Parts: sequence; structure tokens; C-alpha cells
Amino acid sequence: MATEEKKKELLEKLRNAVIQYDEDTAKEAANEALSTGIDANDAIFNGLVSGMVEVGRMFEAQEYFVPELLMCADALYAGLDILKPHVTQLDLGVKGSVVIGTVEGDVHDIGKNIVKMMFDVAGFTVYDLGRDVPLDKFVQEQLRTDSDLVCLSAMMTTTMTGMKKVIDDLRTRNPNVKIMIGGAPVSQDVADKYGADGYAKDATNALKDAINMIASLKKMKDEVEAKKAK
Amino acid sequence: MKTELRKELLSLGAEVVGFAGLQGHMSGEIAHLDHAVSIGVARRLNEDTLCILVKLQKRAVRFLKSRGYRTLAIPPDSDRGKGTFVSKLYSLFNHKMAATSAGLGWIGKNGLLISPDYGPRLSLASVLTDAPLDPDKPVEHSLCGSCTLCMTYCPSQAITGSEWSRSSPFVELVKLSACRSHKATKRATDGKPNCGLCINICPYGRREADSQHVVQEKSARERC
Repeated sequence: MATEEKKKELLEKLRNAVIQYDEDTAKEAANEALSTGIDANDAIFNGLVSGMVEVGRMFEAQEYFVPELLMCADALYAGLDILKPHVTQLDLGVKGSVVIGTVEGDVHDIGKNIVKMMFDVAGFTVYDLGRDVPLDKFVQEQLRTDSDLVCLSAMMTTTMTGMKKVIDDLRTRNPNVKIMIGGAPVSQDVADKYGADGYAKDATNALKDAINMIASLKKMKDEVEAKKAK
Repeated sequence: MKTELRKELLSLGAEVVGFAGLQGHMSGEIAHLDHAVSIGVARRLNEDTLCILVKLQKRAVRFLKSRGYRTLAIPPDSDRGKGTFVSKLYSLFNHKMAATSAGLGWIGKNGLLISPDYGPRLSLASVLTDAPLDPDKPVEHSLCGSCTLCMTYCPSQAITGSEWSRSSPFVELVKLSACRSHKATKRATDGKPNCGLCINICPYGRREADSQHVVQEKSARERC
């Protein structure tokens, strides 16, 4: 088992690899973490995700711009790919599966991919439909996978209207499904009008929301562990 | 800093290294990274060449990062299909633009970067950075002159014969649809999509072995 000191050092290394958008170091640190016996969950949340939270802050403070943000996300994935197979599934009390995609007519998927990443990190099963997804496909996929969260993304006002149709269809077929929408033209007003449950304005806010989501997941995780300890 | 970086990259196998100042030429997302290190390797295009280019790129990235600068490595054009997040941004940037701005050469009638020493036989990679690297002198005009070898030998008559100059960047040099359809036909007949005649025929930097090669094999080489 790793000493506290070594563990701290490796978590720091993972965190910095993400902040410094260094894929190679992220991979190296992930492998080291596994070989020294650090819990993969720990490495992901307190290493990689902690780094991404800082990146989110830097992005908001305009210290980092889109290219850095994307490279940080790549570094996170590089580490995540190595750590993920070793994650012991925790019962988080939430059913983690989500259908995500950019709606028909729209090929802008950077924001969608970043949100997807955060779901991946959180251990959700992600059904990524990609971009320019026919509207019916969302409903079909939701029914097929019985996911309880559907995320829709659109970058243009012309394609945004497609989200309304998807939401209506989903509601008729399955009133319990939670729907989150996002993209540049979307606002809280639009989300309310369309009847979505959640809204994220753009990649920055999606990231922030996704981080909040992960923070609450983390909290749940801690609670579950606390219960176990009792 | 500049001399040091150039020396390091040259010692690791780069044939040419240039520095470009691209202020005002970059699109929004990457506008803050307005200096480019342009790295050229003159080798047949194969896995090794890509390896070397990527290695050189990483070295440049490490060099600049360790000095506290931001970097964005734009990989060689033939090494892009990786599906990473940042690969979405690669299309905002053009290696040849950086290379001409860094004084490595001009754009020939065949639409490729022509270096005075290596002709169109360079594979390019670039590293964008915000480090204030003193730019090299850009090349402003084509030095192809009256040579029309690539135009004459092009099997798809794609080369228009127009000359490039920095002041008129939108002149059509190569009819890409003609070139592309020729490559598609070629792929269908002998399985090798690349034609490369306009590379091999170019008199700049040509060695005898190359010119024989034209007839024998029509070597596969990327358009950089």
C-alpha cells in the first residue's frame, strides 16, 4: 500500500498533468498510481477531476482559452482511460446512464463532448449519439437504454427548435425522464419554455454545471462510504 | 531562446526550423497563440517520419512550457484522425502559412511548400505558442519562375500554373477536385491513393534517385 506522502505526490502529479495539459505525464501518473495501489476512484476524483476543476476556474478567469481547455480535457481522458477499468463500482444511489447528442442539423459538438467527458468521469454509462442526430433517435435511444437523463445540445438558433420536439416526444413517451439542454443560443427562458429540467449555456457553463454535478456525486459517495463505515 | 530551441530541434533530426510571427492572422480561438515554430523533416513519408515529427514537436512543447509559455502542437496533416478534443481546432491552422511566414520557403505552383534546399519534400509540423520568439523573415513571393514541370506532368491537369505571392493568397493554384478525383481513381485501381508526381518532379532539392522513382513507383507522399 502506498504511503500517504507518495499518494499525495501522485494525486498532485495527476492534477498537474491535467492543468498543464500534458497527456504523457497523465498516463505515466495514472500507471504509477495503479502500481502503487492507489484506489482508482481516488485517483480520478482527487487527481484528474480536481485538476479539471482548477482548469474550469482558470477558463472562467480567462487565464485559459478554448485550446488549453480542450488539451486539458484530452489529458484527463488519457489518464481516465487507464484508471477507469480499475474503478470499483460504488452504489451512488443514482442510476448512471445518460443519452447525449447534438440535435439534427447541427455539427457543433465541442460543448457536448466536454459535458460527455464529465459524465464519463462520474462513472455514468454514456450513450453518445454524436452530432447531427435525427430527432427521433433521441427518443428511441432513451427507450432502448432506459436512461433517466437525456442531454441535448445545439449551437444554432435554427437547430435549437428541434430540441422542443425531442422534449415533447420524450415527455409523452416517458414523463419521468430528466432532460438537460445546452448550447450557445439556449437560455434559462428557453429551457423553461421548452420544458427542460436543466440548462447549461455553453461549454464553460456546461463544465461548471457538470463539475457541480460531480461535486454532489462526490458528496453522495462520501455519504455512502460514511454509512458503510458505521 | 530562439537559437537554443532551433539548435536543439536540428540536432534531433529536423532539417529546417523556422519561427513565424502570426499576429492578426489567427482565428478567434487560437488568436492568443500568435507565434509559430515551424518544423520540417525531409524524408519519405512513412511511420518513422511521423514519429520523428511528433517527437520533435513534443520536444519543442516541453522546451517552451518549461519556460512558462503556452503551446498548442499542431500535428502533421497525416496524423490527425485521433478523435481528441483539440483535434477540432487543427483545421483553423495551416502548416504552409506558418512555414512561409517563418521563411522556410514559398508555395509552389503545385500548391505545396517549396524550400530552396529540399523542394516540396518536407513534412511539416507546427507548434503554436505565446512565447515572444523573434520571427524569421517571411517569404513574400514564389521563386518557381517559368518552371512548369509539375503542371506538365500532373496526370489530372489540376495545376493551374498561377504563381503564389503573400499579397494574393486566394489565387487558385491547384484544382483540388481534379487532384482528388485522380487520387480516388488511383486508389481504386492500385490501392495507393497518393500520386506525388508534382513532388517528385520539382527541380528544387531533387536528387537523381527521385527522378527515376517517378517512373518506377510514383512514390506515396503526403501533401503537406
